[in-house]
Amino acid sequence: MSRFRSPVAKVLIVASLALFVVLWGAMIWTAFEHDAVPLTTLDPQGPFSTMIDDLVAPVFIIGGMVFVGVLGAVMYFVLRYREKGDDDLELPKQTHGHTAAEVAWTIAPGIVLAVVAFLTVGVILDLSAEEEGALRVEVYGAQWWWGYNYDITGDRSFDSDGDISTANELVIPVGRPVELRITSMDVIHSFWIPALNGKADAVPGMHRDWKIQADAPGVYRGQCTEFCGLSHANMRMLVRAIPADEFDEWVARQQQPAADPPADNELAVAGQEQFVNLCASCHLVDGLNNEQIAQLHEDDEFPLVAGVAPDLTHFRSRGTFAGGIYNLTYPNPAGDDSPFGATCTLEDLENCGDPTDIGLAGNPDNPLYRPFIEDWLRNPPAMKPMAAEEGRGMPNLNLTQEQIDQLVAYLDTLR
Amino acid sequence: MATPDPGQLALPSGNGAVEHRPLGVFTRPSSSKGWRSWFTSVDHKKIGVMYGAAALFFFIIGGLEALLIRVQLWAPRGTLLTADEYNQVFTMHGTTMIFLVVMPIGAAFANYLMPLQIGARDVAFPRINAFSFWCFLFGGIFLNTAWFLGGGADGGWFMYAPNSSVVFSPGHGIDFWNIGLLITGIASLTGAVNLIVTVLNMRAPGMTLMKMPVFTWMTLVTQFLLLFAIPVLTAAQVLLLFDRAFDANFFNVEAGGDPLLWQHLFWIFGHPEVYLMILPAFGLVSDILPVFSRKPIFGYPFIVFSGIAIGFMGWGVWAHHMFVSGIGPVSVLVFSLTTMFIAVPTGVKILNWTATMARGKLKLDTPMLFCIGLITMFTIGGISGVTHSVAPADTQQTDTYYIVAHFHYVLFGGAFFGFMAGFYFYWPKVFGYLMNETLGKVNFWLMFVGFNLTFGPMHVLGLQGMSRRIYTYDAGYGFEFWNQVATIGAFVLAGSIALFIFNIFYSRAKAKSMANPGPDPWDARTIEWMIPSPVPEYNFDPIPTITRRDDFWYRKYGETEDHMPVRIAATDEVCQSAEGEHDVHLPSPSYWPIVTAFGLPIVGYGLLYTHWLSLIGGLIVVAGIYGWALEPPDDPEAEHDHHDDDHGPVGEVEPDRAEDEDLSESEKEVETVG
Repeated sequence: MSRFRSPVAKVLIVASLALFVVLWGAMIWTAFEHDAVPLTTLDPQGPFSTMIDDLVAPVFIIGGMVFVGVLGAVMYFVLRYREKGDDDLELPKQTHGHTAAEVAWTIAPGIVLAVVAFLTVGVILDLSAEEEGALRVEVYGAQWWWGYNYDITGDRSFDSDGDISTANELVIPVGRPVELRITSMDVIHSFWIPALNGKADAVPGMHRDWKIQADAPGVYRGQCTEFCGLSHANMRMLVRAIPADEFDEWVARQQQPAADPPADNELAVAGQEQFVNLCASCHLVDGLNNEQIAQLHEDDEFPLVAGVAPDLTHFRSRGTFAGGIYNLTYPNPAGDDSPFGATCTLEDLENCGDPTDIGLAGNPDNPLYRPFIEDWLRNPPAMKPMAAEEGRGMPNLNLTQEQIDQLVAYLDTLR
Repeated sequence: MATPDPGQLALPSGNGAVEHRPLGVFTRPSSSKGWRSWFTSVDHKKIGVMYGAAALFFFIIGGLEALLIRVQLWAPRGTLLTADEYNQVFTMHGTTMIFLVVMPIGAAFANYLMPLQIGARDVAFPRINAFSFWCFLFGGIFLNTAWFLGGGADGGWFMYAPNSSVVFSPGHGIDFWNIGLLITGIASLTGAVNLIVTVLNMRAPGMTLMKMPVFTWMTLVTQFLLLFAIPVLTAAQVLLLFDRAFDANFFNVEAGGDPLLWQHLFWIFGHPEVYLMILPAFGLVSDILPVFSRKPIFGYPFIVFSGIAIGFMGWGVWAHHMFVSGIGPVSVLVFSLTTMFIAVPTGVKILNWTATMARGKLKLDTPMLFCIGLITMFTIGGISGVTHSVAPADTQQTDTYYIVAHFHYVLFGGAFFGFMAGFYFYWPKVFGYLMNETLGKVNFWLMFVGFNLTFGPMHVLGLQGMSRRIYTYDAGYGFEFWNQVATIGAFVLAGSIALFIFNIFYSRAKAKSMANPGPDPWDARTIEWMIPSPVPEYNFDPIPTITRRDDFWYRKYGETEDHMPVRIAATDEVCQSAEGEHDVHLPSPSYWPIVTAFGLPIVGYGLLYTHWLSLIGGLIVVAGIYGWALEPPDDPEAEHDHHDDDHGPVGEVEPDRAEDEDLSESEKEVETVG
């Protein structure tokens, strides 16, 4: 066989191996950098995600040691036992095996895995245990957004008087476990807030229990992770965790139906009319079109595919829209992820973050950022691929700029 | 039984008269030369080569799909593909690579190599073997015609219900996927029966199960996995077909159907599928590594039994694909533990391969480099696999790019590196010329670098929260850098594949002015290397008698008491020669396998467009089966009166005596040396 021992060859080999080492070194280094990676699984912010992280860390370490061991052995054998030239012809001893060694390295990984298994069993059971004093929220996925029904009254029903409904942004109290009952309106989705817990599939016709909890106030991002059709990539959600007293205030506001816009806001009054004509057959604004939407649900008992769209009663209390993929309001500057509380006004936008950076979620108390919502009303499928002609997603309503201005003015009043 | 009417489609047995050919084209073809012979060939070697060529063709299609994916994800909000196009491309990429590339390359090696390794003339059912191949090819082509008829499937290769229903995917893409894979499923199933029967019944005299080369063992395990796994997928696909074509409600939630039913059925198939993709490569490495380490495989029984253990345990782990589906904590716990412990037999293999290299004399030729690549890169995939088996960790990892990284380290770093080793190693045996060694080494290093650049960064992307199957991502999530590295890597990888293809043609051109590499260019160990390169149509003449594992090696070398090898015979003396007359009775070619298989995609198109077409396709299949059944057992023109023995070369007197001589000769030599 031809030899491959030219200097060029050596450079090629050394460069390849060096690249391999540098690549893996850089990968491990950056994996544990948590700045500007809002979906990272390695920076837990709640007790459940911390349990997972504590479990996976030793597994990673053991795995790394095993790999270094195997790689080291292979490299050593290659260097030590490689043929040393064309005249190196002596054949080695024909060893067929060594039963004791083989039994040993069958049992040894078994023992290591038994330790991992022991740790895993405990965490699986802890993660499936019910939590005392939890807030219960029904979570449902729909193509391509998320809806939430809160059991505020604690009667284990999600639609008694005083319970609230919202969409895409889940607001929770800090330090209190939240029990999720997850389901789907159409296909299978998966609810995942990496900082707070692993993911759980939303399966139509099935409710499954899951739980999250945040240890500190903040905005925690999530992404649908079960392929759910056309706009799977654009199905995001976020959790705003706030202190318990603020949460109670938030709930009190959400319990109110939407008020009509003040009469002196002519644009918004006109917008409400447009809403009733154009939007009210799919979107609920509590206090405006309840009967229309209720009828829709009655006609279609399991509202697969069509007939539901996000609840807009308190639309302006959210910082993002369209499945969490566009900012509705200006975000806080980078580094400040307070879920609520204004940081800027329209006059002084320097204290705002860049609204086109979706990694910085809009803060509902900051001013409205108009370009995205206007573009959306102008042509929704251009902003997010949808199959409205098949009854899934929002169609292009061919609105005029005047209609858009009126609708934005109305939506801005839905606080 | 009624005597077949000679006026019908086929000739009656043994009647060679020309006037009995009313439909001349359908009389049994006889030629085994020329391009036409490929369509009628029942030779396992030609079928193996066709499997390999078709798989490489589909590999290029799947690879181009991969490049589209990588370019789309180069930067946030990429615009090369729309969401709909992207969903089709990633679905077809996965489907193509699994069903039309990795599985058929495994089938190519099994077809070509396994009969040679056991000293057989052909597989047990040569015409069924041809039928398997044509089913695979037609199924694969049918699947890809979707691109020209409204777009590919868009539900992901796992095709979860209810997203796969007509309501959520009204086009025909998923129907093409479904029917195409039903057809390739027929190929896998008939192939599995064929190869199992071959291994169990057609081994050369003296080759007991524990003397079989490891690749043959892994083929046996793989085919058993296929035999039991494919019917489960077929059942699930028939349910889906009824749902989509005839408004049945198996997965329709509104009507009380259960979407998790699909998941269970799919993964009961899908996990054994993973092992049946990787085990052929494990077999190849186990046979190639000893050749270039110049010593036997370390712990043959452990290698074999760990493969069998993987085959059994592979059936008890499917629900680890469903840790987040809501199957309940008890199921999660059980499947978490079974999944962890399937790592034990895999680990045993890795350690035995490493030990095979220890104290050897390593010849670092291209096949060896790919073997070492497999051992190290598969280890990474295996370890990340263990991190998924920790179910709570998997709830963070599943459906992210971390999983994408994992299974590409297993299937590319594992299976495909093994196949590359196999290509470089067996190329001279199959085509009669060696691949260029310098290009081969550059090929390896380019592939090694490109592979790590492409799939390594996906570990980080996944752990930092990038979901799978998303056609785009936004700025602000920190996904840009590693996606760009991965895209660059993908082009390096594509370059290494291009270099491989270049090397094929370059080496072939160079080979014209070079001598034939001979039967045994690598000083190999197993009996396929004692016959001429390329392999003659009749394989062995005479069929060798096997006395021990690595039989060919021990025809060349004896061993002293302390296991030092001693040359006892020159390679030329123990190899078979292509010269002289070899009047070996071989199964005749046949038209019927390709005709029968051709009817199946027509039935498929009929199901999609007009049911009358299905009737025509069905008639072709039925006619094909009748023609097949009534076909004379032999070429009417062949004179086979003087030979009723299947493997008797001219001049061979008593096969038993010849075998005895063979045996005593080698044993005597060993003893003398000892």
